[in-house]
Parts: sequence; structure tokens; C-alpha cells
Amino acid sequence: MSSDDRVSGDRASEDTAAIRLADVEHRYGDVTAVGPLDLTVPEGEFLVLVGASGCGKSTLLRLIAGFEEPTFGTVRAAGGPPVPGRGAGLVFQQPRLFPWRSVGGNVALALKYAGLPATPDRVEELLGRVGLHDVARRRTWQISGGQQQRVAIARALAVENPLLLLDEPFAALDALTRERLQEDLRRVSASSGRTCVFVTHSVDEAVFLGSRVVVLTPRPGRIALDLPIDLPRTGLAPDELRGLPQFAALRAEIGAAVRDRSPSEVSA
Amino acid sequence: MVQLPAVHDGVRGYSGHLLVEHLGVSLRRILIGSAIGVAGGLVLGVLMGVVPWLRVVTEPVVTFVRALPPLAYFSLFIIWFGIDETPKLWLLSIAALPPVAVATAAAVQGAPTGLVEAARALGAGRWAVVRDVTLPHALPEIFTGIRLAVGIAYSSVVAAETINGVPGIGGMVRDAQRYSQTDVVVLGLFAIGLSGLLIDGLLRAAENRLIPWRGRI
Repeated sequence: MSSDDRVSGDRASEDTAAIRLADVEHRYGDVTAVGPLDLTVPEGEFLVLVGASGCGKSTLLRLIAGFEEPTFGTVRAAGGPPVPGRGAGLVFQQPRLFPWRSVGGNVALALKYAGLPATPDRVEELLGRVGLHDVARRRTWQISGGQQQRVAIARALAVENPLLLLDEPFAALDALTRERLQEDLRRVSASSGRTCVFVTHSVDEAVFLGSRVVVLTPRPGRIALDLPIDLPRTGLAPDELRGLPQFAALRAEIGAAVRDRSPSEVSA
Repeated sequence: MVQLPAVHDGVRGYSGHLLVEHLGVSLRRILIGSAIGVAGGLVLGVLMGVVPWLRVVTEPVVTFVRALPPLAYFSLFIIWFGIDETPKLWLLSIAALPPVAVATAAAVQGAPTGLVEAARALGAGRWAVVRDVTLPHALPEIFTGIRLAVGIAYSSVVAAETINGVPGIGGMVRDAQRYSQTDVVVLGLFAIGLSGLLIDGLLRAAENRLIPWRGRI
């Protein structure tokens, strides 16, 4: 009972924060993977976490998703302690589609778990939102890797969660597909107004997508740089956006921070 | 010298039943026995895979039963259930259960973390994960267990029809052995072996239809 009261009290005082990490530290055995760090994400922000591989950025996302418990400190997301499947949609590096269900069946499952009607029309509409048409009846292995990742995004967007968490979702895709999906994600996230946390090791992707970029240090992951991205969110074509002088300046600044903080193996 | 009847003795088939009738009766027993054994093995296997302490308790029992020759516990079933259909079906069920239970338990435990997490991220509860991820993922291995189980039920049919087994292909072989009728014994063996091949082929066809995703994970 008393813990419930505390939850609602906190929620009232943290109205504008979609995610709040306080003094968070996470260890695997003796190794500190993340922290200690503090991070607050206001509602509607598109936060990108950048860092070299092994800097704990995926661990940080798993903490926010509720798949890991912090060793120290507290994590709150969507108004309470994070629980998988409550309040946040999640997209992984691999599509992680269920091969025993059709493409549409994968999206329908998300609706079913949320207690929403999973009509073919609704599924078709959700797939359409990520640029897929006439694939609902296909098997998951009959569509391309890029299309599979689109289905994974549609599945995560099916339920109107306040949070969308993405863990290097485009890392395994070819350059052309990746740029297309980045563009579409930008459009979808801008129109949905959801709070997004996006993990990547690509500086270009971070500047392109984020309204704020946080650079993490190598293990243990701590905040090395926390930068707002003041680029227009809509109205510009991707090439125009990438052609802006501010874009290049931000990319250089973030790139320098990532390289500074990384062992030599990091690529630009 | 072996005495051969020069004139037909007037009895139809072997002991009054045609080969297909012997086979039909045995197939029915195998079908019912395997169905019960497979169903029991499935339930037990899922519980063993999902509830760790249950696995610790039941696994030695299952392995113990698996090690027993069917003829050994058939004596017990005769004492308990008499000599009609009941002990035969019990024997075939008990023989068919362990391979399904073992295969199911192993497959359920081997559910891929990535897909389980994906389901949980979509809001699946514990049993929804079992129903929508663990079981479909385990289905190919379960099917292999079922094929093994049906095979074992097949090879146990001779044991099951040791007593009061006529009509029945196993009973026929047993009976013919008593009178050194090698031709009938060999015929019975071929009938069992060939129908076994056919059933396994049917199971494989069903598997290919039901599990198109096999090897796609």
C-alpha cells in the first residue's frame, strides 16, 4: 500500500520526465558496465545514446526497458519502475520476429497482448505506417531484412506506449536501407510525439535522428557529452538536413567526443 | 519330418483372422496407446521444462521407466488390469510417454532468450510466453519425440500382445512362434515393419505441413 502511495507521489512531482535515472550503476559480477550516472529524459524527446561498442549503452537501454535491475540507484520510466511490456515499445538489433506467425500475425500479437482488437484492417494500417503493403500474409523469412526490421518497428508501435526504445535497430542493414529507415523513423517519431531512446554507434545517425545526443564513455559507461540538437525536425529532406553547416559541426563535435573517449579501435 | 496339412483346415486366415485384421487391431492399439502417451508426455514435458523443481523430481522417474523393458511392467498391468485391452493400452502409453516428455522438456528449456524477451517487451505474461514462443519453438523437437514414441509403441506391440493377443499382429507372431511357423512369423515382421515405415512417412508429411518454419530461426 505505502509503496503505491510513493509511486503516485513521485509521478506527480516528475510530470515532465518520461525517464529518470538517479545514481544508477550496473555491474555484471565485478565489472561495472554502467555508471554511476544521472539522466532525465523529458517527454517527447528523441534521445540518442552514442558510444563505442562495449560502453554499456545497450545495458542502459535494458535498464530503462526493465530487463535489467540496476545494482545501485533507481530507474523510473513511464511513471514507475520499468516493467517489460508496460509503457514502452522495444526494437532490437535483430528483428526478433516469430517465424511461426505470419508478418501480420506478429503485429496482431502485440495488439492481442494489449487487449486491443487485432483486425486485419488495423494490422494493415500499422504495417502501412512503416511503409509496408501487402505483406501481412507472407511468412517472416519471405521478406527482406529491412522489411523484417520495419515489421519489428510496426510491432513496437502497435500499442500507444509513451516510450519507444530502440537498440541499434539499423546496424545490421545495408547503407541504403538504413538511410530509408532512418528517414521513416524520423517521420514516424515526429508525428507520434513519443519519447524515444535510440542506441547507436553511428555519429551520423545520432545527429540525424536525435533531438538530444548523449555520448557515453567506454566501460564503465558514463556521460561524456550531453548535447541538444537544434536542427529542424520536419520540413527538410534528408540530404538538405545533412547538407546544413550545423549538421557537419555537430557531427564533428560528437565524433570527437566519441573518439576521445574510445580505445583506438573505434572507426569514425 | 514336418507334417503339412494336405487339405485346407477350413479356418479362415490365421486363428480365424486375416492378416489385415490382425494388423488393424494392433494399429488401433498403437494409435490409442501412442495418443495417450504423447498427450501425457507433452503435459509432463512442458511442466518439467517450465517448473525447475518438478524437473528435478520427475526426471529420474522418467529415466527409470524408460530403462525398463515393456515386458517387465506388463506383468504388473496384467495383475492390475486383467488380460483384455486395458493392460495393452497401458503398456503402449507408458512406452510412448518418456521420449515425448524428454524431448519436450529439453526443447522448452531451450527457448531462445531473444524471442522470449521480444514477447515480454510486447506485454506477454509468463504463460503467454509459453503458449506463443516456447511451445511453437519447441514444436520441431516435440515432433521428433512423437516419431520416436510411435516407433517405440510399434516395437512394444509384440510385448503388449504376449497374453491374449489374438487377434493382433504381435499375438499372431507369438502364436506362430510357439508352433515354429517361420513363414507366419516373417510375414508378421514384414507387416509390422512396413506399416511402421508408412506411419512414420505420414508423421513426417504432417510435420512438414505443420512446421514450415523448421530451420528458420
